[in-house]
Amino acid sequence: MSHELEGSPAAKRPASVVYQREKKTKASVLFTDAFAQYGITIGGMLVIIAVFTIMIFLIYVCLPLLNAGETTGTKSYKIETSAAQFVETQIDEQQTIFADLETDGHIKAFHLGTGTPLEVPSYDLSGLTASAFAATLRGDDILFGFPDGSVRAGRFELRSQVMASEGVPTDLRKLDARDSTDGKAVYSKIPGQFRKTSIEISLEPATQIAPVGTAILKADYRVGGTAERPLKTFVTLDAAGKLRLSQAYSEINMMTGEAATQLTTAEIPLQVPAADVVKLLLNTQGDRVLVTLRDGTIYRYNTRNFANPQLAETVKVISNGVELSAASYQNGENSIIVGGSDGSVAIWFGVDRQSKDTTDGIVLTKVHAEFEKQKAAITDIRVSQRTRMFTTSDRAGNVWVRHGTTERTLLTLPGSPDPTGLQATVFAPKDDGVLAIGKNGNVILWGIRVPHPETTLQSVFGKVWYEGYTEPVYVWQSTSGTDASEPKLSLIPLIFGTFKAAIYSLMLAIPIALMAAIYTSEFMKPSTRAVVKPVMELMATLPSVVVGFVAALVLSPIVESWIAAIVIAFGVIPLALITMSFLWQLLPTPIANLLDGLPKLLAFFATILGAVWVSRELGPLVETTFFDGDFKKWTSGAGSAQPFLFLLLIPASFVLVLVLTRPIYSAAYRLNLRELPKFMAAARELFGWFVILALSLGTAWGLSMLLGQLGLDARGGLVDTYVQRNALVAAFAIAFAEIPIIYTISEDALNAVPSYLRSGSLACGASKWQTTSRIVLPTAASGIFSAIMIGLGRAVGETMIVVMATGNTPLLDINIFNGLRTLSANINVELPEAVRDSTLYRTLFLCALVLFFMTFVINTIAELVRQRYRKRAAQL
Amino acid sequence: MTETTNQAASAAAEQVLAPVRRQARSDLAARGEPYVWIMGAALVFGLMMITGFLAFVFYFGAVTFWPQPIAVVETTDGKVIAGEAFRTETYKPSPEILQPKSTAVREQIAGNLGITERTLYRVGNYDLFGEDFVWVADFDLKVKTYPKDIYLIERMEWGPFIGRIKEIDLGGKKIANPSLAQLQAAHAAAELRRDVIDKVEKIEITDINREIERLRLTVKRAIIDYGANSPETKSIEADVAAKSAKLEAGYKVLGEKVSALRQTNEAFTVTLEAVNGQSKTQPLSLLVRFYPANNLDTAQKWSIYGARWLEFVSTQPREANTEGGILPAIVGTLTMMVLLSLAVAPFGVITALYLREYAKQGVFVSFIRICVNNLAGVPSIVYGVFGLGFFCYIVGGTVDQLFFPEVLPAPTFGTGGMLWASLTLALLTVPVVIVATEEALAAVPRSMREGSLACGASKWQTIARIVLPRAAPGIMTGLILAMARGAGEVAPLMIVGVVKLAPELPIDAVAPFVHLERSFMHLGFHIYDVGFQSRNSEAGRPMVFVTTLVLIGLVLILNAFAIYIRNRLKRAYKVGEF
Repeated sequence: MSHELEGSPAAKRPASVVYQREKKTKASVLFTDAFAQYGITIGGMLVIIAVFTIMIFLIYVCLPLLNAGETTGTKSYKIETSAAQFVETQIDEQQTIFADLETDGHIKAFHLGTGTPLEVPSYDLSGLTASAFAATLRGDDILFGFPDGSVRAGRFELRSQVMASEGVPTDLRKLDARDSTDGKAVYSKIPGQFRKTSIEISLEPATQIAPVGTAILKADYRVGGTAERPLKTFVTLDAAGKLRLSQAYSEINMMTGEAATQLTTAEIPLQVPAADVVKLLLNTQGDRVLVTLRDGTIYRYNTRNFANPQLAETVKVISNGVELSAASYQNGENSIIVGGSDGSVAIWFGVDRQSKDTTDGIVLTKVHAEFEKQKAAITDIRVSQRTRMFTTSDRAGNVWVRHGTTERTLLTLPGSPDPTGLQATVFAPKDDGVLAIGKNGNVILWGIRVPHPETTLQSVFGKVWYEGYTEPVYVWQSTSGTDASEPKLSLIPLIFGTFKAAIYSLMLAIPIALMAAIYTSEFMKPSTRAVVKPVMELMATLPSVVVGFVAALVLSPIVESWIAAIVIAFGVIPLALITMSFLWQLLPTPIANLLDGLPKLLAFFATILGAVWVSRELGPLVETTFFDGDFKKWTSGAGSAQPFLFLLLIPASFVLVLVLTRPIYSAAYRLNLRELPKFMAAARELFGWFVILALSLGTAWGLSMLLGQLGLDARGGLVDTYVQRNALVAAFAIAFAEIPIIYTISEDALNAVPSYLRSGSLACGASKWQTTSRIVLPTAASGIFSAIMIGLGRAVGETMIVVMATGNTPLLDINIFNGLRTLSANINVELPEAVRDSTLYRTLFLCALVLFFMTFVINTIAELVRQRYRKRAAQL
Repeated sequence: MTETTNQAASAAAEQVLAPVRRQARSDLAARGEPYVWIMGAALVFGLMMITGFLAFVFYFGAVTFWPQPIAVVETTDGKVIAGEAFRTETYKPSPEILQPKSTAVREQIAGNLGITERTLYRVGNYDLFGEDFVWVADFDLKVKTYPKDIYLIERMEWGPFIGRIKEIDLGGKKIANPSLAQLQAAHAAAELRRDVIDKVEKIEITDINREIERLRLTVKRAIIDYGANSPETKSIEADVAAKSAKLEAGYKVLGEKVSALRQTNEAFTVTLEAVNGQSKTQPLSLLVRFYPANNLDTAQKWSIYGARWLEFVSTQPREANTEGGILPAIVGTLTMMVLLSLAVAPFGVITALYLREYAKQGVFVSFIRICVNNLAGVPSIVYGVFGLGFFCYIVGGTVDQLFFPEVLPAPTFGTGGMLWASLTLALLTVPVVIVATEEALAAVPRSMREGSLACGASKWQTIARIVLPRAAPGIMTGLILAMARGAGEVAPLMIVGVVKLAPELPIDAVAPFVHLERSFMHLGFHIYDVGFQSRNSEAGRPMVFVTTLVLIGLVLILNAFAIYIRNRLKRAYKVGEF
């Protein structure tokens, strides 16, 4: 290529055309170039987009949590009505049929999708019409009460049965795409097979409860025990106002298959007229009977002692002038939902307050009252069998779906079968539909989809008052043993645990890492540095699972048996080092200079080892003298509070003594010190140190006596009951992961301080320490800050160490000797078990999102500070 | 201190010029010796942590397989146990334990602040005793001997047996108190038969099963593709039925062969006797290794040590992962690392090229840089969550519906597996590679690019022939660091495909050779699982130490390699700069 041509005037060009190479690039080169340009640009953009997808995807998965739910469609038709009252309506799990039971024992069943009537058996009540009726919350165990004072229990069950195609009758009438019927049962097509849904009923013989001729007016019925040995409990109210609690204990004889039943009955004295009673409520254990009156009064009987029921308390659950129009147990039979004639809804449950006002210390408390009011009186409350959802229907025929714990109105179902009121509402067993039957025979079936009824922002980040708790709390408890107890998904204990782990570990890591970095950068020969730094960085490469394993299985037993020694080592090691440093000053300057370097490092090493040895030897002694012989027992409350306060107060009183003795360490003193020969000066300094040490120990002891007398105790706060896998062990282990990061980044920052700043300072006569503390550190401060932030980011996200070294207990407890659970550990422990798209699954994604944001904010701050620092460093 | 020389010279002038002259002595307070000590000690503490940790892990990892002597211990209450001394610790016996002891013992312990020592013996014989380990406190120890005829016998089931070999029964021919040579010969024969059974069961029968399953799926696939009653399906069904029948016949033959061998093996037994007199007779083929622990010379010890290591790295795990080898975990980890680097390298490099060479430098690009740096700090578990939700469920679920409908509802790609785990880790490590590559690209001197462009090379030619070769070591470093990180990560893998036990390796001799959909084992997860999830974490602990050693070894070698390349790169640049 000829370069002379480039700058020459255009006019001259033709002359040298002969020598000029053809200015044409090969097409293939151009093509490759363009291809690379677009390929790389697109590829690069794609990767960047992919990376942002993470955040968007996490949000996308979490968002449905806040969704209240939706109706997925409605079906409506009309069914034939009769004069008899519906007392119980049921839907089967697959939403195939629904069945209405009437007071005369007659059952009407319909195909749910189309309203086609089915021929089903009815109860033979020997011509009687029931005057009272009760059913369990599931609805398949029922009890009739009769005007003659007898009761009859029975089963009312919609049974689903999967069968092969061969077993299905051939002459079926098609109902819809899925279902056909032979008139009695419905056959639904499922992949490869059929499912037959039919009604099965049975009725036991009558039992006389009330005197003959006294009608049973109200009843409630529960079945507990096991399938082989059912324990049937029922409570009845007769026309004379007598309340009776009865228990029928059946045992099926293994040999004959016959059931032998024993019935016991206890009378409960009641003072109010039977006509005022809205509903009797009984629980499955049979140890609580509630009588709800129209004026809103609830009598709670404690029937734990079956023979001797006690009136535990009387509460008014509704304001004056309003009638209690509906009441029901919530799923789990602890909370009572009450509906008033003004459309109000509230939830009450017993809170154990050790109260003197009630006989058993439990007080019925209005826990959830912030429910939206309905326009007309609440007439019916139906509860879900799986969650804390329930429906409330009002006199105007409107049905709302609500959630108890979150007090949220999930759905106001559109339309009403009958504006004059409903005969029955049913909550489908799988929470996927609501059926309402109007008085006029109109039926509406709403399909509903409420996948996450229990989650709101309040339930995830705020306090929630759960059953069995005395106040609203933050609690994470994702797995519940039964359907009756609800999962509790507050992120606050996890966020707390995250910060607890991060802060305790940073309290260990920051001093060690920063000071090590300063020493490496400022006091070390470059040749030693070149060895030391990679070794420290080696720490960062250790897989965290290894660190966690060693921490949990090796470190935590050691910490447990040597806890007293470790606690005092925190004091002994620094004191030993400072003392040694004063002794070191006694060395003549030439020798000290000679020993600077590796021998000095060895001296540090020896001092630490010595201090550790001293702590180990002192540990048992200290434990016996100060901690009642056993530190772990001491943390649980044995022994005196003072010794630990003493240990805690040492640093504070050290600072106090330093401040108080400052006048002595005035410029005059220091000038005076300079006058002395080095050895004398050093000896004086050493003596001064011992004086200060003695003074501060004395001050700490005195203060701790004083505070101890005042009743102050570190236990219950920072230290409390000792658990083997605790925050202290975890902090050690996480510090292991943080130290190399903070160390490397801050060492780099210190190293980047221009060397002429150091030279200038040293040239002005400042010592190395003065240069470091007054010139280098302030210059590198922002770099060091960003190092700490990045360390924090790492600590927040650390997973395996926390999973292994802490007990994974989601607690709100700052006690350093107790366990914790972090967001990341929580995800790790729970996500493998979570069902896809369940509430837990999405909540765990929310955990990940919170974690993502936390680290994102922390890292961004660090990055911005670091960039600012780089700019500043460049200007210097 | 140099000022002292001037002191005398200017003493006279001082009198006049400055009434208060600064003394030229060293100012102790200014030197800040205590601060220096604390800082230096912090560094030493850090170094002690890392070296102590590594030494600890290396020591315990290295000694685990070394044959230990077996002590026969008689305690003061007349019990006799035999076992390897596992570890010794100091402890504080509770008053209830000390109550029945003699006053001398109690006084001695009380004099030592209630602290005494105890030793944990690994006594084995879980099938007889119901425990693997026994603590013996120092004050309980009466006699400790090391008899020469005590054997340690490693077995396929129930962990090791420690005791004497009473008798072997070679299909009816009984030899009481057999010599080591007789035992070895009998055992070798039994082992040979066991290997044949293994081969037939694990390879031939598995092959047949796999083929039958494949045929079954062909039918399902045909039903999906052509409909249940179409002629195509009918013909495939007939074909499959014929083939299956043949396979079933082959299966039966093999089954008979195996059960015959089994019967033979059952007849060759060995009777073992524990030191407390309990004995146990079991087939010889269940023994893995046996040696007279107190009667070994150094060469024999080394050969046992070597054989144990070989077994460890080349066989499948046994006994809920607490014994046997870790071959699947090693293969799983390595395969994942290779897949991870295959995924991460092109994307990381392309992104870095885009950011450094193609994108217009400005606010947008520095914003992206902050984000990329940031992503390097996002906790790995978040990537795991994303991997599960996005890769496994959404992408994998779609792949299953499109390509593997016949297997549904059992997922093929719609659950955790090798591919998704590698991609998740690739996503996790892509920022590392981007940052490293960018730095490597930035380190290529501008003059070289300009020189190339000035010579008429196109942009891509410059990048491909000048920039990338110079940046290659830097990129390699980033890649190796990414692989090392991938090898050490466990948390996200637990969510996206690592399992306790996966006897089927992700790479094997069955087409298509690399099985991306399979769950796999991983060294890191193995540590967690054996250390925390097994029946007896004490029994698994030696295994964990050795696995840890292998994992740390792998990670450290990768890192050392990266550092080596980085240093070489630095040297290359020093020469190259003008």
